[in-house]
Amino acid sequence: MKTINKTIYGFFLATILLLIGCSKSFLEIQPNDRLTLDNFFQSESDLQSATAGLYNKVWFDFNDKFYYGLGDGRANNLYAPYSDYIYPFTDLTESSLTGPLVSAWASFYNVIGQSNNVINNIKKNSKGVTEDQKNAAIAEARFMRGTAYWYLASLWGNVILIEDNTTLVNNPVVNTNPRSDVFEFAMRDLEFAAKYLPSAASQTGRLTKWSAFGMLARVYLSYAGISDNPNSGTRSTTYLELARKAAKKVCEESGLALMSNYADLFKVANNNNSESLFSLQWVPNGDYGVINTQQAYFAVSSDITGDDAAWGYYTMASFNVMNEYETADSIRRKATFMAYGDKYTELSKSTGGYIYTTLHNSKKCCNVKKGVVGSTKDTDGASSRMNSALNTYMLRLADVYLLYTEAIMGNNSSTNDATALLYFNKVRTRAGLLPKTSVTYEDIRHERRMELAMEGQYWYDEVRRSYYKQQEVLDRINTEDRAHIDLYNYDKITNTCTATINTSARAVNTATVDRLLMPYPESETVQNPLLKQTPVKYTFTEARITNLFN
Amino acid sequence: MKLTIKKQINLTLLMLLIPMWISAQVITVKGTVKDTKGESLIGVSILEVGSKSNGTITDIDGNFSIKIPKNAKLNVSYVGYNKAIVNIDGRTVINITLDEEAKSLTEVVVVGYGKMKRTDLTGSISSVSNDAISKSVVTSVDQILQGRAAGVQVQQNTGMPGGSSSIRIRGTNSINGSNEPIYVIDGVIIDGSSGSSDSNPLSSINPSDIASMDILKDASATAIYGSRAANGVIMITTKRGKSGDAKITYNGYVGWQEMPKELRLLNLQEYATLKNARSAAGIVQPDNNFVRPDLLGNGTDWQAELFSKALMTTHNLSITGGSEKTTYAIGVGYLNQDGIAVGSGFKRYNLRSNIDSQIKKWLKTGVDLSVSNSNQKLTVSDESLIKIALKQTPDVAARNADGSFDGPQTTEYVQTNPLGLALIKENYREKSGIRGNTYLEATILKGLSYKTEFSFDYGIDNTYKFSPSYSFGAIVNSTIESERSKSYTKFWSYRNIVNYNNVFNKIHSVNIMLGQEAQKSGWEYIYGYRSGFVSNVAHDLSMGDATTAKNAGSSGFNSISSYFGRLFYSYDDRYLLTATLRRDGSSKFAEGHQWGWFPSAAFAWKVSNESFLKNNPTIYSLKLRLGWGKVGNQNLPDNYAFTSTLTSVQTANWGTGMLSGNTANPDLTWESTASSNIGVDLGLFKNRIELTADLYYKKTENLLLQLPLPAYVGTTGNGSTTPPWANVGSLQNKGLELSLNTVNIDKKNFSWKSNFVFSLNRNKVLSLNTQTGIVDGKVTEGSETTIVTRTTIGQPIGQFYGYKVIGRFEKATDFYYKDKNGNLKPTALPEGMAIGVNGAWIGDYIFQDVNNDGVINEKDRTNIGNPEPKFTYGITNSFSYKNFDLSISLSGSYGNKVVNYQRRWLENPAANTNLLEKALHYAVLSKINNSGPVDYRNLYISGGDADMCRMAASSASSTSNFRFSDKFVEDGSYLRIQNISIGYNLPKSILKKIGIDNLKLYANLQNVYTFSVYKGYDPEIGAMNQNALLTGIDNARYPSPRIVTFGLNLSF
Repeated sequence: MKTINKTIYGFFLATILLLIGCSKSFLEIQPNDRLTLDNFFQSESDLQSATAGLYNKVWFDFNDKFYYGLGDGRANNLYAPYSDYIYPFTDLTESSLTGPLVSAWASFYNVIGQSNNVINNIKKNSKGVTEDQKNAAIAEARFMRGTAYWYLASLWGNVILIEDNTTLVNNPVVNTNPRSDVFEFAMRDLEFAAKYLPSAASQTGRLTKWSAFGMLARVYLSYAGISDNPNSGTRSTTYLELARKAAKKVCEESGLALMSNYADLFKVANNNNSESLFSLQWVPNGDYGVINTQQAYFAVSSDITGDDAAWGYYTMASFNVMNEYETADSIRRKATFMAYGDKYTELSKSTGGYIYTTLHNSKKCCNVKKGVVGSTKDTDGASSRMNSALNTYMLRLADVYLLYTEAIMGNNSSTNDATALLYFNKVRTRAGLLPKTSVTYEDIRHERRMELAMEGQYWYDEVRRSYYKQQEVLDRINTEDRAHIDLYNYDKITNTCTATINTSARAVNTATVDRLLMPYPESETVQNPLLKQTPVKYTFTEARITNLFN
Repeated sequence: MKLTIKKQINLTLLMLLIPMWISAQVITVKGTVKDTKGESLIGVSILEVGSKSNGTITDIDGNFSIKIPKNAKLNVSYVGYNKAIVNIDGRTVINITLDEEAKSLTEVVVVGYGKMKRTDLTGSISSVSNDAISKSVVTSVDQILQGRAAGVQVQQNTGMPGGSSSIRIRGTNSINGSNEPIYVIDGVIIDGSSGSSDSNPLSSINPSDIASMDILKDASATAIYGSRAANGVIMITTKRGKSGDAKITYNGYVGWQEMPKELRLLNLQEYATLKNARSAAGIVQPDNNFVRPDLLGNGTDWQAELFSKALMTTHNLSITGGSEKTTYAIGVGYLNQDGIAVGSGFKRYNLRSNIDSQIKKWLKTGVDLSVSNSNQKLTVSDESLIKIALKQTPDVAARNADGSFDGPQTTEYVQTNPLGLALIKENYREKSGIRGNTYLEATILKGLSYKTEFSFDYGIDNTYKFSPSYSFGAIVNSTIESERSKSYTKFWSYRNIVNYNNVFNKIHSVNIMLGQEAQKSGWEYIYGYRSGFVSNVAHDLSMGDATTAKNAGSSGFNSISSYFGRLFYSYDDRYLLTATLRRDGSSKFAEGHQWGWFPSAAFAWKVSNESFLKNNPTIYSLKLRLGWGKVGNQNLPDNYAFTSTLTSVQTANWGTGMLSGNTANPDLTWESTASSNIGVDLGLFKNRIELTADLYYKKTENLLLQLPLPAYVGTTGNGSTTPPWANVGSLQNKGLELSLNTVNIDKKNFSWKSNFVFSLNRNKVLSLNTQTGIVDGKVTEGSETTIVTRTTIGQPIGQFYGYKVIGRFEKATDFYYKDKNGNLKPTALPEGMAIGVNGAWIGDYIFQDVNNDGVINEKDRTNIGNPEPKFTYGITNSFSYKNFDLSISLSGSYGNKVVNYQRRWLENPAANTNLLEKALHYAVLSKINNSGPVDYRNLYISGGDADMCRMAASSASSTSNFRFSDKFVEDGSYLRIQNISIGYNLPKSILKKIGIDNLKLYANLQNVYTFSVYKGYDPEIGAMNQNALLTGIDNARYPSPRIVTFGLNLSF
């Protein structure tokens, strides 16, 4: 009897317990630290947070070193003999393995990939949002994608155009598309953005129609120079005209104006000022990935940053750039490069201001100022170790003013067009310089170099010029004495920069046609040998917007 | 142990003794029972054959006296010894010697969800006894296995106290997934993978609590663990109580650890000489302090500053005992291991207890609980201090005259003070955990039992980081930062097992087990950060500036539901069959892909039990085994790889932003490994020679692989989506294992036993996502990320991948060669380089132009070494002489290559850091005609080592010479005297008087000496962060220390 009871109990118990494991929900676990696609894209605020991520993290690897390493380093604004993220570019010795090149390539494609995900997820998954709201969000993403493709086209020429990353996953080995298609792709994206972005930002710092027109001006102007003959000396009038119209929109219709004080542009407190058309939005006190690390690479010493992240001692202005400053151009010079004896009251506030007296092997060289904002205390807590919290300018009004002048000048060797001079001189007079009555390309080149030094632009100016005046650009690069000058003495009072020619100072390569483009990263060519093959024409599926300027 | 059993039997039998009937022919027989070593045996049962009541037991000196008919026979039996039948033949004094029973006959092996006699095993299982544990200095259970089990390759990934090992049971099964086995500790499953070199998931377990370890190797043995068993299963049984008087055991040692080897770095004179040469070459500015290097001293030896002798202490106390129905064991342990590098160290406290009780005649219950707390210093690894110490220059002083830390005079391209950082930065991890198991086991009918069991493992893992303000020379940090993180891990499993055991007709032995199990594991994480502390004293977050606060939190859970069964059938103890079947469902896959079947079957033939071999004088035991099984792996780090997710990203003003987090693969499912095994167990001469040999073949399919995609897919770097996980490709492992135990000498006062294990494994990738598919292993150093290994079809996993150096440009003519048609051709130069002092020059390396396209570029990289050993082995010899014992164990690896990665920088004479002494021997160039030009046709190499390149001023040339090539691949073969252990057991006769059962004094030498040609610290390298693709890459790995300990073992 007892045995039977036990048996019954036992099996009863066993049956119940065996049932526990059968419950289906046991294997269904919802994540708590992320969202799944099914429950997002349901409101305008969802769309806004989906595009918010495109303003910082995806650009981080680009901003960290490549922005200035290439934009200024390659254009010989910088001399940084020990910074392997700058000197290979200055010395024209970069290879398919150069670190920042690889991470910039990846960063542009992260911008593209995440923009594609936003665009496609909105198209596929959004519910309960209006068509206008969808288009505005897609326009933001397409602006980002178009901008990234402009960089890729400028740097590598033929690259892979991607609209859907999920299909690429299954077969990543695809052909590149020709540079002209990449430009067209970028222009189509920016045209869509210009059409659907609002004229006033929905949130401070977000893109507007004017951002898109400004960027279009840059891209049209670049594209205008492309032809079969890189030394044709002329540009496409159609695209010069488009560039002029796009720039005109920004200069004349946006209602935006330059900041009155040049140096104020580079203060954290003035992030997203009226002059900013597109800037990367870094997070004060943010996590790695959403912060602006540039100050750590520029700051000459710990006295400025207040921590050990100050690695800029050997990241200096080049002899070449210091030589180009007009003597009266001291406002911009001081805001861009520190000269011996300069005092910056916004730095080291607690000691009454920072006085730059750094010597390099007893020489008075210049370290970088632009991007250096000071310690946590100097910035009311905005900056922290390796994070200046300063937004990175990708496009600002002064840039578009100069593009406008250049577009108006068009294929002429100079211009005294009133509008061209008006905007050109707005930039000059703000810098405390005398206005000009006539402008040549050389004036524009010089003005852009000085105005935008350390804003990652000058190399792209050279690339733009090289599309139709290639030999001029190569000659310029090859006559800058990159190989022969290291340290120099700069006197800020007299604006004189002196150095001795050292015949064996550096191992630099000669600029050649090939060197105007970057090598594809090795990791990419290994995985996709098609990258080095002839590009394949891209098939555009949707109609191009043609009524932007009607 | 032995004494306890004896006493127990003693007591029992005494009670049973009844007055004996005496017959007329009865005589009194006296005598002593001893073992083969001459030790008296206490409590030996002596019975008259055929009588049920006439018997006695031996007393404390082994003496007995029995009244017995003079032609009768004595049946002498004793636990653990072969029984003896002795004819009286009228003798009155009979001294009996009992042979110890061959251990393997009674040995019980823990298999999944049950136990089996070793002789009944059909699968491949290796065991490591408690004896091996006590004869080595191990701080964590994974280290015990080193060189002790065939088919098990153990390499410590770091010598840092508390660090992890890479354990490969029968090779590498997975490319991206974990390759670590699981550990089943008294029923609680612990995953051996942490994905980190520093963090060892097994570090909370005290090795001295362990009674035995059984390693389930082939699929027929592991299939019962189904989804988690792909990399093998290590069953760990902790010590349990036995009925009888309480037994108290203390075991403890103190010792010191030291660097096994130092690298020869430049001293100040040499550094100054080299720097002068660098400045002469225009690489650096001249240093005014180095005008006369010969007047300088040795400078700072940073290696000696960072490394020093370090103490190590452990104390373990255990109490075991019990009544007839209830047994218990309690253990406490303490370990304190300082690191040989400043800024490392490991401390652990353990408490463990278990109780088993027969609460009803038919119902048994028990509970195991163990609590641990450990504290590991991580500064040395988190701050890469070893690398810094190797590179910091000897002209920088470690300390100022006042004792404060000094540093370099500038901040640019200098190293910080590693000693200073190690000592002032707070960086440690404290782990606390509680692990338990409880069961209720009912015997429902004879042979039929039901067990319900609940296990859990909860852990708290806290990290503490504090970076104070400091100034080391010109390096000044005034930002004080503090970081705290807490993670909470949970695991529970609940299972129900029905077991049926019976023997039919005396020859059909059957065991059937059916079970169900549910497991759930997960973690939660929370992180906080503040800076702006006003002082370096109080480190908690609330002391920092609230406006600088950062925080984060995340969690993840996964579950597995399972049903399983096992059938064991033995016919006449000659033919044995084990079959298992498991069905597992995992939450890591989408519906429709969640469930997998995992079957196995194994057959064994005990040949020695056949009539033709029975009582064979040579072959004592012989068993042939044949098995097949299939196991799974669901061990992906991502719980939601099957669905698309969005992750949050911070913004400055707009609240939380979202970015796509991953690329989903809804079809993701189990990785499965099918394995076949053929084995033989042979025992010769009463098992004085025992040989186990196994041949296996394993094929893993549907590999869990995170697809290696080009960066343009958007899967690399900040803001990228993680690449998708997919079931891609297959690979195989095949191999041979041998394990040989011999008793070479077994005399009264002297014995010598040997153990030899040998493992050979060959790994090969059979397919990947595409025919040209590749998976790369990368190492990032500064801003340079380099592919160091490549995995391709037809090759073993993780082949070193780089350029081949085939020579050096010695003279102008080396820039040209004649092809097979006799045409003069230029030697292939690195892409973008021409002959020139800033390009390719005399004294530069010539790389092999693998694809013969006339230029050296990434296409010329090729396989330059295999990290997989041709074979590994272990040899242990144990000697005992009277009360002394000595054990020497060796372990070795043969035929594997390793990468000495830091040589890429430390041997580059143009580099601006301190360097290896080798860097001094760079190729010196001289002009052939002194008045001639600096032209490659007028240069020759006039000095330096034949294998060194020139000092190149151009970074392009210098980078080119030190690109990742076979120059940095070295022979990793080694033979290591792993351990020498010497013990002395105090004579029992003395101890008895003071009430002590056993007292042993011993000394252990661990990691005594390594025979190797390797130029780095230690050829045992392991896998960086347990990553199979980064096996054998030494990137300033923390060297494993040499350890000398003295200890004592006491029980009463």
